[in-house]
Amino acid sequence: MNLTFYDKIFKPKEYVLPNGKKAYKKASRAPIYVILVLAMCALSVKITGFDMEVLVSRIGQFFVILGEMFPPNTDYMPKIWEPLFDTIKMSLLGSVVGALLSVPFAMLASTNVCPSKIVVSVMRVMFSLIRTLPTIVIALVATLVFGLGTLAGTVAIAVFSFGYIGKLTYEEIETVDMGAFEAMQAMGATRSEAFISAIIPQVLPFYLSNCLFNFEGNVRYAAVLGYVGAGGIGLILNEKISWREYPSVGMILLALFVTVFIIESVSRMLRKKLV
Amino acid sequence: MIKFENVGKVYPNGFEGLKDINLEIDQGEFVAIIGLSGAGKSTLIRTINRMHDVTSGKLTVDGVDVMSLSGKTLRRFRRKIGMIFQSFNLITRTTVIKNVLTAFVPDMPWYRSVFGIYTKEEKIKALECLDKVGILDKAFVRADQLSGGQQQRVALARTLAQNPQIILADEPVAALDPVTANQVMGDFKRINEDMNITILINIHHIDLALKYAKRVIGIREGKIVFDGPAQGTQWDEVLDNIYVGEASREGNIQEEG
Repeated sequence: MNLTFYDKIFKPKEYVLPNGKKAYKKASRAPIYVILVLAMCALSVKITGFDMEVLVSRIGQFFVILGEMFPPNTDYMPKIWEPLFDTIKMSLLGSVVGALLSVPFAMLASTNVCPSKIVVSVMRVMFSLIRTLPTIVIALVATLVFGLGTLAGTVAIAVFSFGYIGKLTYEEIETVDMGAFEAMQAMGATRSEAFISAIIPQVLPFYLSNCLFNFEGNVRYAAVLGYVGAGGIGLILNEKISWREYPSVGMILLALFVTVFIIESVSRMLRKKLV
Repeated sequence: MIKFENVGKVYPNGFEGLKDINLEIDQGEFVAIIGLSGAGKSTLIRTINRMHDVTSGKLTVDGVDVMSLSGKTLRRFRRKIGMIFQSFNLITRTTVIKNVLTAFVPDMPWYRSVFGIYTKEEKIKALECLDKVGILDKAFVRADQLSGGQQQRVALARTLAQNPQIILADEPVAALDPVTANQVMGDFKRINEDMNITILINIHHIDLALKYAKRVIGIREGKIVFDGPAQGTQWDEVLDNIYVGEASREGNIQEEG
């Protein structure tokens, strides 16, 4: 048995069998990791200037604002419908466009489908680059290019969905059973034909499930895109918070909450049926 | 006719898969290829439809030099050669008939294959192929709900839908129980006799090879060490040579997974 320095300090536990033979269980390494994480937390507090005193003395204000949102201003509801639907339209259209566009690129990023290692690496780097960009930054750039409004928001969500679904799809493609693909090639099919006939049926349920999950999340992201002028409910949310019309803010949040809840429930139900 | 002339195959890592193979197989023959795992049986079969490349010598099928093909000509060439695999290689998530219909995909416009649109004639032809291997009643069942023997028959029907002149079968019964293996071998024999399709089978079960094939080829370390009729051969000595003394006439070598 190999004893490291650690084992010499914390002795392994010894089990003795009736016939005299022995088995050793080494001491757990978990305490090292716990100490490491705690030390890093302490360091983070120091660097970020996290001040417990401010937190304790000001936390009450948070509930004051929350309290002012109640009761929500129901008269404001008629003005919420349009931006709310804009938000849903943006996320739906963006999710669909991004997810569809990602398929051919996901195919090129899969080592088992794409024969060129260079193409695979280029595609993967592209996918990770796109996922590193925060959606709000893409939205900001999109408003500069396409002007203020829902088009910019849709583009931002499409780009995010492209990176997210693309990554999940190529990982799914790589776990697929390649037998049917090989059989298609032996029958004289091209790689694309073999992909369409042999691989798509295998990954389709997971792909659709991921698309739904992505859409569900995008409704929430789309809500804040209005902050940079990319349209939707974030626009009025930003406006009402700056004017301190908290009852209206309350109404917006309530409407958003109900919408997200409905979409998530439906999506969860559909995904259960898919996989 | 399939003709090997001094064919050799060296893998990129330097391993010699085939050494100086000379072989002629006429249209309509039923040939069993036997030998140890790693002897080169799979390599031999897969060079015929160019799933593997040969590195020396000349391999012709009906006068066409296989190594001269590429891209479209290669794909068209592969259309007339069917292939059967040990693990069936079906699309398990879809129905049996859709698996058979994939045989038509290479001749279809792409948008039809994307949306899975097949014509009435194609569907009837697929059903006829399923009928030929006796599983017409399973046509609309999902492929993964069938037994191993039934799945191999679906694969056979898919190959028949291709209308091939040659069928290459790489260990087609290795994953099947003895009774089912016999049935599937019987299917091969019937197809060979009724439709005059050349059949090449890699097989570990010597008793099945002798029972169904007309000609047996023995391979050892990439070389052909026996080539003769299945009937009327003194097998004890021949098998000793092929399997380097590791098998007897009764014993099968079927360790391959």
